[in-house]
Amino acid sequence: MSIRILVVDDEPDFIETMVKRFTFRKMPVTAAPSGIAALKLLEAEPFDVVIMDVRMPGKDGIETLKEIKKRYPLTEVIMLTGHASVESGMRGMSLGAYDYVLKPVDFDELLEKVRKAHERKLLNEGRNAPR
Amino acid sequence: MKAETPRADPASAAGEPASPPAGKNRPLWLHLVGLPGVTAVAVLSAMVLPIPLAVILALFTASLAAWSAAALASRIRTSEQERCSLDAQLVQSQKLAAIGEMSAGIAHEINNPMAIIAQESDWMTHLMSQPQVTPENLAELRDSLAEIVRQVDRCKAITHNLLNFSRKMDPILQQEHLERIMEDMVLLVEKEAKLQGVSIVRDYDPELAAIQTDVPLLRQVVLNLLLNAFQAIPGQGTITVSTRPAGADRVAIAVADTGAGILPENMSKIFNPFFTTKPPGVGTGLGLSMCHGIVDRLGGAITVESEPGRGAKFTVTLPR
Ligand SMILES: Nc1ncnc2c1ncn2[C@@H]1O[C@H](COP(=O)(O)OP(=O)(O)O)[C@@H](O)[C@H]1O
Ligand SMILES: [Mg+2]
Repeated sequence: MSIRILVVDDEPDFIETMVKRFTFRKMPVTAAPSGIAALKLLEAEPFDVVIMDVRMPGKDGIETLKEIKKRYPLTEVIMLTGHASVESGMRGMSLGAYDYVLKPVDFDELLEKVRKAHERKLLNEGRNAPR
Repeated sequence: MKAETPRADPASAAGEPASPPAGKNRPLWLHLVGLPGVTAVAVLSAMVLPIPLAVILALFTASLAAWSAAALASRIRTSEQERCSLDAQLVQSQKLAAIGEMSAGIAHEINNPMAIIAQESDWMTHLMSQPQVTPENLAELRDSLAEIVRQVDRCKAITHNLLNFSRKMDPILQQEHLERIMEDMVLLVEKEAKLQGVSIVRDYDPELAAIQTDVPLLRQVVLNLLLNAFQAIPGQGTITVSTRPAGADRVAIAVADTGAGILPENMSKIFNPFFTTKPPGVGTGLGLSMCHGIVDRLGGAITVESEPGRGAKFTVTLPR
């Protein structure tokens, strides 16, 4: 089963590399340039795993994470950051991020995290299924 | 802070009742709290209010008993050994004591903003009962509303943390290597730590197999322990993170630091909610109690050893 991935980052270069690498592995991926854009996309279609930069102009990653977790608690979010901030990490993790990862991140490692995050979502869905 | 002191109410000077009957301001209060989309406070009230008196009484009695048991136990221990060590699991009764302390803590932390909110909403009720809303009144209303929003935010910060560790949700178990769980959190702290002259030593057991655990929850525990370790080191120092097998069916992760350590008299309190030795703004006293709660839910135990002045070591043992 394929994983529906959403990449959120205001940096076009980063998005481009991500899309290229996921596509190369035949994994469909959608990109959003901002938190607001990501929330709009999520409204239109469901995603399993969101990969999102912490620092973005406008609605930042933490605010967007909060919103995503409120509206779609089962969607897993992996936060990426170029600037290590323990405080922001604490917020992110306590808001329900699956992981909080320092950039640059090795793609294979990221892929593994995405798989794990997706697995968690499936387990969560299985548990929440009406009996 | 302006509203910490009681506000002069012209209404009472004019001979009107200073505060409307309690039943009257309640809907307004609830409405205002709900206004900024803050359900946390409402959730908390819902959590707190319907508890039958009997349960509160039982908790109170239990925590009293637990407290004396814990006090006795800790006295025996401290006299026994110079190097103090607290087995959080051993003193099961301390959990009950923590509940008692937590209730007191919550009450205290929430009461102040609540008092201000009540006062401001009384004032608003009064202003709105005037036959005409003058521009000055409108400005006052805005002022009061802004103050209420501020206070609600204050409550929100508290309840957010509370809900986090009291969340009833069962953990979601996944197969994962401890090292993989810890390393991202270590990297996150390492950059900031390095800038301050604190180095992180990794002592992972490469042979250790993956375990079944709730990955993001455990990451929160690791991050909290790392932050505490970092904050405990005043100048330069070292934080050592390690993973080990612990018997046939358990594993252990440890975060050790060369920081200030923990005073013997604080050993029995550090896992209690709201216990902190840090200045306001730095410490909330919720980190370790949250860790304790999470580790409990994961079927594990958290213990601490410390020599004051030489550092502290927190160990989390978990089922494989
Ligand atoms: N590694 C450590 N070294 C020394 N003291 C510690 C350490 N970790 C925790 N403590 C003590 O335990 C208290 C409670 O910790 P915690 O619950 O994380 O709250 P906070 O960090 O907000 O104070 C701290 O204020 C500190 O006194
Ligand atoms: Mg702490």
